[in-house]
Amino acid sequence: MNNSVVSKNSGKKPRVLVAMSGGVDSSVAAALLVDQGFEVIGATMQVWDYSQNPSKDTEDCDANGTCCSSDDVDDARWICDQLGIPFYVLNCEEQFKAEVIDPFVESYLSGETPIPCVNCNTFLKFSHLIQKMKELDCDYLATGHYAQVVLDKDEKPLIKTSEDGHKDQTYFLFTMNQELLPKILFPVGDMNKTEVRRVAEEKGLIVAKKKDSVGICFIGNQGYKNFIQDHATEDLFVKGSIKIYPEGDVLGTHEGLHNFTLGQRRALGVSFSEPLFVRSMDFETGDLWLSREQDLYKKTFIVRDTNFFTDMDIQKPLRVKLRYQHKGSECQITSFNDEGVAVELSESQRSITPGQAAVFYDGDLLVGGGWIESAN
Amino acid sequence: MKRVFLDHNATTFPSEEVKSAVKEFSDWGNASSIHGSGRRARSKVLQSRRVVSELFKVQPGEITFTSGGSESNNIVIRGLIERLKERGRAHVITTVSEHPSVFKTLSIINENDPDVQVHFCPVSKDTGLNYDFIEKTLKEHPVGLVSVMRANNETGEVFDLKRIKSLIDENSGGEKIYFHSDMVQTLGKLSIDLKDLGVDFASFSAHKFYSLQGSGILYHKKGVGFDSQITGGGQEKGRRAGTENLLSIHCFGVQLKKLPQTGEKVQSIEKLRDSMESKLKEKLSGVSFMAQNRERLSNTSMALIEGIHGETLLMNLDLLGFEVSTGAACSSGNPEPSPVLIAMGLSPKEASQSVRISLGWETTQEDIDKFVENLVNIVQKIRDLN
Repeated sequence: MNNSVVSKNSGKKPRVLVAMSGGVDSSVAAALLVDQGFEVIGATMQVWDYSQNPSKDTEDCDANGTCCSSDDVDDARWICDQLGIPFYVLNCEEQFKAEVIDPFVESYLSGETPIPCVNCNTFLKFSHLIQKMKELDCDYLATGHYAQVVLDKDEKPLIKTSEDGHKDQTYFLFTMNQELLPKILFPVGDMNKTEVRRVAEEKGLIVAKKKDSVGICFIGNQGYKNFIQDHATEDLFVKGSIKIYPEGDVLGTHEGLHNFTLGQRRALGVSFSEPLFVRSMDFETGDLWLSREQDLYKKTFIVRDTNFFTDMDIQKPLRVKLRYQHKGSECQITSFNDEGVAVELSESQRSITPGQAAVFYDGDLLVGGGWIESAN
Repeated sequence: MKRVFLDHNATTFPSEEVKSAVKEFSDWGNASSIHGSGRRARSKVLQSRRVVSELFKVQPGEITFTSGGSESNNIVIRGLIERLKERGRAHVITTVSEHPSVFKTLSIINENDPDVQVHFCPVSKDTGLNYDFIEKTLKEHPVGLVSVMRANNETGEVFDLKRIKSLIDENSGGEKIYFHSDMVQTLGKLSIDLKDLGVDFASFSAHKFYSLQGSGILYHKKGVGFDSQITGGGQEKGRRAGTENLLSIHCFGVQLKKLPQTGEKVQSIEKLRDSMESKLKEKLSGVSFMAQNRERLSNTSMALIEGIHGETLLMNLDLLGFEVSTGAACSSGNPEPSPVLIAMGLSPKEASQSVRISLGWETTQEDIDKFVENLVNIVQKIRDLN
């Protein structure tokens, strides 16, 4: 916890807007800020109207496990009441649809496996909420991310991984505008999940034992395939042949690339003498390429739309995370221009997936990242 | 921090009389029971019904207690619709600016029942309610029900019910056309002479008139029937089953006794409202008020402030202790641009720049002065940011 921010501002209490999901992390974040003497305002972004989304209307439509259901909003409201701080719901449905849902659907239809959480951070939490923070005359914006803001020797703010290596969420923060960092607080960034839950219990917060949100918040239990099918017309589905790599033989046909993810083994719709996996997808031809497991491994890939933090050396050996749960692999950026970088891994990796983010680290410091475009 | 409540169209705080009545209340019987406790409870309901009937100059039998305005509105619409179909007069006229308990209810019926056709009368931001639309629809279709609110909860605009009643009479061709009005916003603000207004049904709510949440009134003119929507124990002469909300009904009666003395309050509130609007216009550019040149409720002001999101303004005001709203308070705290303002011809962006200020009996000149000062500061600050 960074206590220095309070004492820096001697006059009135510094005011902080806390993005609250109704989960334990952001609840504890808010509670800690109250303890540290901030004037705290809680806010939840209402990003998705479940009542307008009929496919969510299942037995478990109110179940926890999503980060923005209406019960979660109520939990956030209750926590703020427990903490004696004001709470507001911000209507972000329009921005969320435009910046998160639509690109998500589009990406899936074009044969990628997108990760919408980055866009949610980029365009909602650290853009829309930053604007709200200013309009509410707040000094800071805080979230429950497992990440830390630190200063380098030149007092330049950088993002450092969380103390909880398993929960670390810096993977989702590579698009952050570095200039904003002095305004950002991650109160639970230097704690691990066990400590966070302990604090929640000690403070009697009602969400102390609440399950962690898993998966993509707006998908819930219906599965992403149903979601895509509900949000796109059939003429947008990219259908084609199922082929085997490297032979190129046609094994069958499929009803849309969005039904598959790289590395997928089950429900491929073909029978073969050996286990087969999805190796790649060709949006132009509609070809779905399957291969034996050893052919899934690739060593080089292209990353587009990169964002690197100022003064970070990207030419030295770095560690790259290829998906959120990936531990990271040694790599070298072999070439770069304004649009992106080419990367070579020390050891080839299974299923380097277009649409996922490649996020680079120098030790525990976030260097930057971008979107995986293709791999070889 | 002293809080200044300027959201009286959402709810009002119980008056001193109501608070005393709550403290003193002791007749906790079931009004349907035959024994002494039941009789005392029943007597409370009867007393309140008597108060209402005397004030509204109607028969006690024309008053049914409900849970509130939304229920009263639903009873009328849902309780008439099958009867209209049987009579071959299943065309309904309503307006685009109704409260959701009318608008949504009729929209759902319109969508799901092929035998019913609902005609939504336009309300324009410039010219108000389109009475010609009502006349034309009455002439062209076998209309069975007209449901038009007396005053809009968001803009405060008052509609001319007598004019609508004349249109109905002129175009009914001797057929009965039911006339319902949602009058939830009007208690203590407009005179309630139901016979003079010519309605067959009217809806009211206790908590909009300095009494408790949980009870409302449905006025139904003698001789007009409707199907009960809550069936059960036969309370309220079989019109609305369910044990009466005794305390809320009792307090509603207590508070309604004050209704005849509200005239002066209306005038002083109107003066405060008008002075607030002129000060805001004087101190801020890009400010306008909905329906300002037409008849409005004396306490209501819907301000449109260019470049300022109503949601942000509301939060900033709340943090300083001033309580207003952005449109209706019925949603789950998730503000969306008001459908009523959009139906009146505002763009979603314009509608999102609205804030509703609704004054009440306890609002003082000092409250309004402070409110104006703070609102102006916030608006200037946000405008400087962008």
